[in-house]
Amino acid sequence: MTWSGKLGAGLGLAGLIVLFGLLGPLLTGDPATIRDIGLTSPGGDHLLGTTIIGQDVLAQLTHATRGSLWIGVLVGVMATVLSGIFGIVGAYAGGVVDEAFSLFSNVMLVIPGLPLVIVIAGFVPADQRGTWTISLVLAITGWAAAARVLRAQTLSLRNRDYVAAARVSGEKTWRVICVEILPNLLPILASQFVFAVVLAILSEAGLSFLGLGAADSSTLGTMLYYAQNGFALQRDAWWWFVPPGLIIALFGGALSLINFSIDEIINPALRERPRRRRDVVATTPAVADEDAVLTVTNLNVVYQGAAPVHAVKDVSLTLRRGEILGLAGESGCGKTTLAYAINRLHRPPAEVTSGSVVFDGVDVLALGPEELRAFRWVRLSMVFQGAMNSLNPVTPIRAQLQDVLRTHRPSMSTSDREARCVEVLRLVGVDPARLGSYPHELSGGMRQRVMIAMALLLEPQVMIMDEPTTALDVLVQREILNEIKRLRDELRFAVVFITHDLPLLLELSDRIAVMRDGEVVEYAPAEEIYLRPQHPYTRQLLGSFPSLTGERGALIR
Amino acid sequence: MTTLEVRDLTKTFHRHRAVGGVSFTLTAGRTVALVGESGSGKSTIARMIARLVRPTSGEITLTGPDGEPVPSRRYRDHVQMIFQDPFASLNPFHTVEHHLARPLLLHGRTRAEVPHLLERVSLTPDFARRRPHELSGGQRQRVAIARALAPGATVIVADEPVSMLDVSIRLGVLKLLDRLQREEDLAVLYITHDLATAQHFSDEVLVMHRGRIVERGPGDDVLLRPQHPYTRQLAAAAPDPETRFLQGGPS
Repeated sequence: MTWSGKLGAGLGLAGLIVLFGLLGPLLTGDPATIRDIGLTSPGGDHLLGTTIIGQDVLAQLTHATRGSLWIGVLVGVMATVLSGIFGIVGAYAGGVVDEAFSLFSNVMLVIPGLPLVIVIAGFVPADQRGTWTISLVLAITGWAAAARVLRAQTLSLRNRDYVAAARVSGEKTWRVICVEILPNLLPILASQFVFAVVLAILSEAGLSFLGLGAADSSTLGTMLYYAQNGFALQRDAWWWFVPPGLIIALFGGALSLINFSIDEIINPALRERPRRRRDVVATTPAVADEDAVLTVTNLNVVYQGAAPVHAVKDVSLTLRRGEILGLAGESGCGKTTLAYAINRLHRPPAEVTSGSVVFDGVDVLALGPEELRAFRWVRLSMVFQGAMNSLNPVTPIRAQLQDVLRTHRPSMSTSDREARCVEVLRLVGVDPARLGSYPHELSGGMRQRVMIAMALLLEPQVMIMDEPTTALDVLVQREILNEIKRLRDELRFAVVFITHDLPLLLELSDRIAVMRDGEVVEYAPAEEIYLRPQHPYTRQLLGSFPSLTGERGALIR
Repeated sequence: MTTLEVRDLTKTFHRHRAVGGVSFTLTAGRTVALVGESGSGKSTIARMIARLVRPTSGEITLTGPDGEPVPSRRYRDHVQMIFQDPFASLNPFHTVEHHLARPLLLHGRTRAEVPHLLERVSLTPDFARRRPHELSGGQRQRVAIARALAPGATVIVADEPVSMLDVSIRLGVLKLLDRLQREEDLAVLYITHDLATAQHFSDEVLVMHRGRIVERGPGDDVLLRPQHPYTRQLAAAAPDPETRFLQGGPS
């Protein structure tokens, strides 16, 4: 964990206020002492002046801060325990218990908090309205939202394999909840606790200001209440109401800063990201290979950061018209980064530090935003990893396909658009009658075909496919591979096919580039790679796939 | 000799029959491969054997090494499972030591066995202190295998144990499982969608399709001379560079 400025400032400020509340009352006098000096401005014996009946404001402030913090902590603990019981236990138990707990939380959630607090607090006779009563009321009205968040998170955690694994090893239910699930909820619980504390201090101040607060304690709210009743504002006695207001604001601000930092720890993507620096624009002279449609020359991509990661190192590739180029490599080898950089889809902190990408004589890295829009998808399209899950679930296929045409071919008539959509679906072997279907009504293989159809819509010269069949079953994969081969023969576009599955590439591609740690370690025609692999890593990859027709046990020894 | 007999196992989810009338036997010292595509019901069978899912009907009976049926409360001493995704099956909050010590303690053993367990899966004892995010995929899956061995299990259900791993380390993990099976006389159910490894690493192959076993027999018979049309389709669908380059097939 890195120590962020927000966390430091938040903890520091909150710490100071807590210290003030804890130690202050020991150093200042009795806040209730009445002196006949009346309202005096700060200075001399009374650093923060006195109230209308001569009470020392500083002494009152220290006691009030202590009172408010105490209520905040009480409510924070009670609300967190309540939300934990209703959120975590309900979600883990499932079934009727979950339904009942969840219904109860939802009902509590829709009841407006502050009005209910006012009604309950007003209903309890003033002499029975102690700190505990007020805290209980605030906790009861404040736990429901946190319970919903915890429930959602627990529902996701209880289906994790490590929870199943703990059950298989024979762990008791309470232990699974407390030891396996709870620690993973800690950041959320901490964040919910901090939020509950802030809310409690604010609500209590509001209640006390209305005269509905605890009778037996002095809090920042009661201080404001007495300041209001003593016409502090009208008498310009700012020293009476500004300090308590300021403490509430500062403490709320400090806890919010802590909460932001907790959020950043839970979700690292929230941390400040470096701004995009300018990628290199290095135009190389015309490409030597006449037939090349895409030429990548000495491309370097670096993820900038505290420790820069050189994800693509000096990669040079040439894609000829109508060629299928296989890009083989394992997770983290930089193959997806390379594909994104070719498409200029890489985002900061990724940065192209040197090299060039030339597409049909045009330097892709030098394109302006408008030119880039006219280039992407029109001339070079991409089928993304896990593409079958990247269709919009709430609109039918037709709308999603037509959107592409509407954006890039605005002059096209409605009937032509429809005709083109029907045509591409036929091309990929999906019944055009499915145009009206929603993505969830199609199988995984069909969705993947629709994504390929979408990539084909504008008749690009090059299609980059990033693991397009990895999530699919072999039978479906076979159909899609046959489809790609057929389309390539019919439409003569070129394909960059990225996968870790070397046998698949050997069957499909014309040439293969094997990537490892950002480098292309071998680049040769498929037949060469299969029959005469040069690099040890290529041989290792080839040896990783047992052949169906081989002898049983040949691998074991 | 430990045997786990599955008889006429059926599981229905909301009127959808995920598994229908499946029977087979796992025996010590043998690996049975269960082959099928996603949705064929193979993971449901694994979860029923691991007692994570209750069967709708059918029986799973475990006979201990002494030939006596194993009572229900001792079931988990003998039957353990290895999950598909080692990135999900280890709790990110806990150390490797916790993952191995808990099953040891739950089954009447001691924490002192952790280093020995790690050695059995070819990891060094200093791995005990590490947390899952410090391990590679292959190391995580080795820890998961060690966890399954910890209670002294004799029946191991491995649900797609290598499909989430990088290709270059898959064979290493499969070879480890194979070695353990032979050295420790385990009964292994190897669940996979990969026909080639099923053939190489098992004594018997069961092919599942839509919740039923459509073909069964020794690996070479089932996959090299498939009888059922579905098995034939599967065998033909696997990428096959050999035909292209060695037998002069169409390119």
